[in-house]
Amino acid sequence: MTHHGAPPTAVDSPRHRGRVRATVTIVVDSFLLLPIGALVALVWANTAGVSYFRFAHGLRFIVNDIGMVFFVGLVTEEALEALMPGGVLHRWRRTLLPIVAAVGSVLGATSIYVLYLRERSEFMLVEGWPVAAAQDVALAYFIAKAIFLERRGPVGFLLVMAIVSDAIAIASIALWHPSNPEMLPVAVGLMAVAIFVAAALRAARVDRLWLYLVTSGTLSWIACYWSGIQPALALVPIVPFLPHRSRHVGLSAEAQRATPRRFEHVFKYAVQVVLLFYGLVNGGAVIAGEMPGAWAVLLAALVGRPAGILTAIGLGIAAGLRLPVRLHWRELIVVSLAASAGFTFALFFAASVIPAGPLLNELKLGAVSTAVSAVLAFAAARLLRVGRFARKPPGPGDDRPVPNSATAPA
Amino acid sequence: MRSLGRWSVALAGLAVVSTASAIDFALPNRNGSVKFAVIGDFGSGESSDHEVAAQMAAFRARLPFEFVITTGDNIIGSQDDPADFAEKFERPFQTLLGAGVRFYAALGNHDKPSNRSYGPWHMDGRRYYTFAVHNVRFFALDSNRPDRAELAWVDEALRSSKEEWKICYFHHPLYSDGVKHGPSLELRVLLEPILVRHGVDVVFSGHDHVYHRLTPQQGISYFVTGAGGQDVRSLRRSAATVASFDRDHTFTAVEIAGADLFFQTVSRSGITVDTGVISKRGQGPPGGGR
Repeated sequence: MTHHGAPPTAVDSPRHRGRVRATVTIVVDSFLLLPIGALVALVWANTAGVSYFRFAHGLRFIVNDIGMVFFVGLVTEEALEALMPGGVLHRWRRTLLPIVAAVGSVLGATSIYVLYLRERSEFMLVEGWPVAAAQDVALAYFIAKAIFLERRGPVGFLLVMAIVSDAIAIASIALWHPSNPEMLPVAVGLMAVAIFVAAALRAARVDRLWLYLVTSGTLSWIACYWSGIQPALALVPIVPFLPHRSRHVGLSAEAQRATPRRFEHVFKYAVQVVLLFYGLVNGGAVIAGEMPGAWAVLLAALVGRPAGILTAIGLGIAAGLRLPVRLHWRELIVVSLAASAGFTFALFFAASVIPAGPLLNELKLGAVSTAVSAVLAFAAARLLRVGRFARKPPGPGDDRPVPNSATAPA
Repeated sequence: MRSLGRWSVALAGLAVVSTASAIDFALPNRNGSVKFAVIGDFGSGESSDHEVAAQMAAFRARLPFEFVITTGDNIIGSQDDPADFAEKFERPFQTLLGAGVRFYAALGNHDKPSNRSYGPWHMDGRRYYTFAVHNVRFFALDSNRPDRAELAWVDEALRSSKEEWKICYFHHPLYSDGVKHGPSLELRVLLEPILVRHGVDVVFSGHDHVYHRLTPQQGISYFVTGAGGQDVRSLRRSAATVASFDRDHTFTAVEIAGADLFFQTVSRSGITVDTGVISKRGQGPPGGGR
C-alpha cells in the first residue's frame, strides 16, 4: 500500500495491475485453479496419503455435493444457451455432424473402456463407464484455440461435441446410477414440486436469482440426495427456468463480456474457489501397482474417443452429412485428439458413479492423466501441419462462408 | 488384546508336500469352539486352486471347520456362465461342499457385481451382510464401493453387535506390505475409525496375493489372506510385519474358543507358515500355542 502523494511503486503501477488482471482472467477463463488443486492433491496423496485422505474426506460432502452444484449449474447454463438463437446448437442441421461425432465419441471411448476392463477381469470397474465419456469442455476449447488460433470452425465443432458428450454422460449418471432407488418415487414427486415452483417464479417474472435457488434449488437438491442421484446435478432441471438471454457460445472472455448471464455473473468467481477445492479434494490418487482403472480411462480417451469420432464422422458423411468448409480430415484428427481430455468432467463423473475408495482412486488417476492429450494434439498438429503449424497460418476469415458447418459464431 | 505367534518360513518355496496326516497341526480343536477357514484370491480353476482346496479338506480332518469366509476375487476370468462357477469353484471345493461346509463370500474387484446372487456363497444378493456363530459376529463388507449407505450400515451393525468377538472381512487391505497393491489408504481413512470405535478384533482381507500378518494397529489384528490360488506376488516386509509368506498359496484356519482366537496358516504343500493366538484376556497363549 502507498501513501497519498507518494510516487507509484512497481507493485501498484497501472502496468502491474494490468498484468495481475490479465493473469486472473487467464486463470479464471481457463479454469486453471482446478488443475492446480489436482496437482497439489496428487503430490500430497503420494507423500502423506493418510493426512491427504483425511483432509479430502472432511471436505468431500461440502465441495462435491454442495459446491459443485454451482459449477454444474454454470455448465448447464452454457449448454442451454447453445440451444438458443445465436448458439452453436441452435441450427441443428448445421450441427448434426458434430452431434453424430459426439455419439461416436461416447461409443468409442466407453467401448474401449469396457472391453479393456473385461479383458482384465476388472468387472467392478465396468460401471464407471461414464468417466470414459467425459470431455473437458474448457480444456478442449483451450487446446483447440491454441492450435487453430482464430479459426472458429474446428473450435465450434469441438465445443458442440464436448457439450453433447457430457450431456449424454450426465443423463446416464442421473438415470442409471441412483444409489437409493427405493426413494425414487418420493424424489420424483419432490423434483416435480421443485420444477413447478421454478416455473411459477418464471411465469411471475421474478428476477431475483436467489429466490429460484433457495426454493426450487433446495427442493431439487434434497430430491437428488434422497434418491442417491449425484446432488451436484440439482440445478440441471432448474436452470432452464432462470431468466436467460440468447448469446453466442464460446468460453472466450470476449464472448462472455458481450452477453453477461445472471447465473454466471453471480457465481463466476465463487465457482473458481469451488473448482480449486474440487481439484484438491478429488485430484489426489495414490500411484501404486498396475491400476487398470487408470489405464482404461486413458486408453478410452486417447484411442477409443478419436477412433469413435472419426468413424462416426465417416459414417455421417457416407449418410449425406457434409463437413464444414475448410475442415478436412487432417484437422479432424487433431480435433479428435484435442477432445480426448476428460480431466475436470472425468473427475466429476468418477466421483459421481463410484464412491471414495480403491476403485475411485484408479479412475481419478486416469481422469487426471487424460490431460496428456494436449501434448498429443499439438504433436499431431505439427506432424500434419494443421492450424498454427500450417504453411500459411490461419486467419479469422478462413472459415467464411460456413454453410452447413458448426462454427462458434462470435 | 495381544497377539503372540511363532511362524515358520524356513521351508518356504521347498517342494515339500505333506500328506494329510503329516500336517503340523497347531490348533486346540476344543469342543464347542467356532472353527472356520479363510481364503482369498482364488477361483482360476487351475491346479493351484485344486491343491489348496485339497489341503483345506485334509486339514478339516483334524479341525472340522463348518464354514469358510472368503476375502474376495473368488473367481477370475470368465464368469458369465454357470459352467465357469462349476469349473472354478464347485469342482476344486467339491470335497468341502460335499461335506456341507458353507462359504460366506465378500466380493473383490475381479468378481462381477452379480456374483452376490450366486447361491453357494450365501450372500443372498447383498453387497455387505453380517452373521453370527456362537460368540462371534462376522461382517462381510464390500470394499469396492464403500458408499455412505454401507458405512452407515456397518457403523450401526457393529454398534448393535453383542457378541464377544467381532470379525470383519473384505477385499482391499487397510494395511499391507504387498508390492503389487499395498494398503488402500482412502479406505483406511473411511473405515478404520468405525472399526476402532466399535472394538473390532480381527480384520481379514485379500487383494495382495500374499499371506501377511501385522502387529495390531489401534487394537485390531490385520491379516492379508490373498494367496488362495491366483498367481502369488511378492511382499516387502515393513516394521509392522509380524509374519509373511509370499512363496506359495495358502489358506488360514481359525478356531475361537472363549477369549482366545487361534490361527494356523498352511501352504498348498501342507507347510505351516504361521500360527499363533490372539487373546482378549491380554495374556499369553494357553498351552503355549505353537
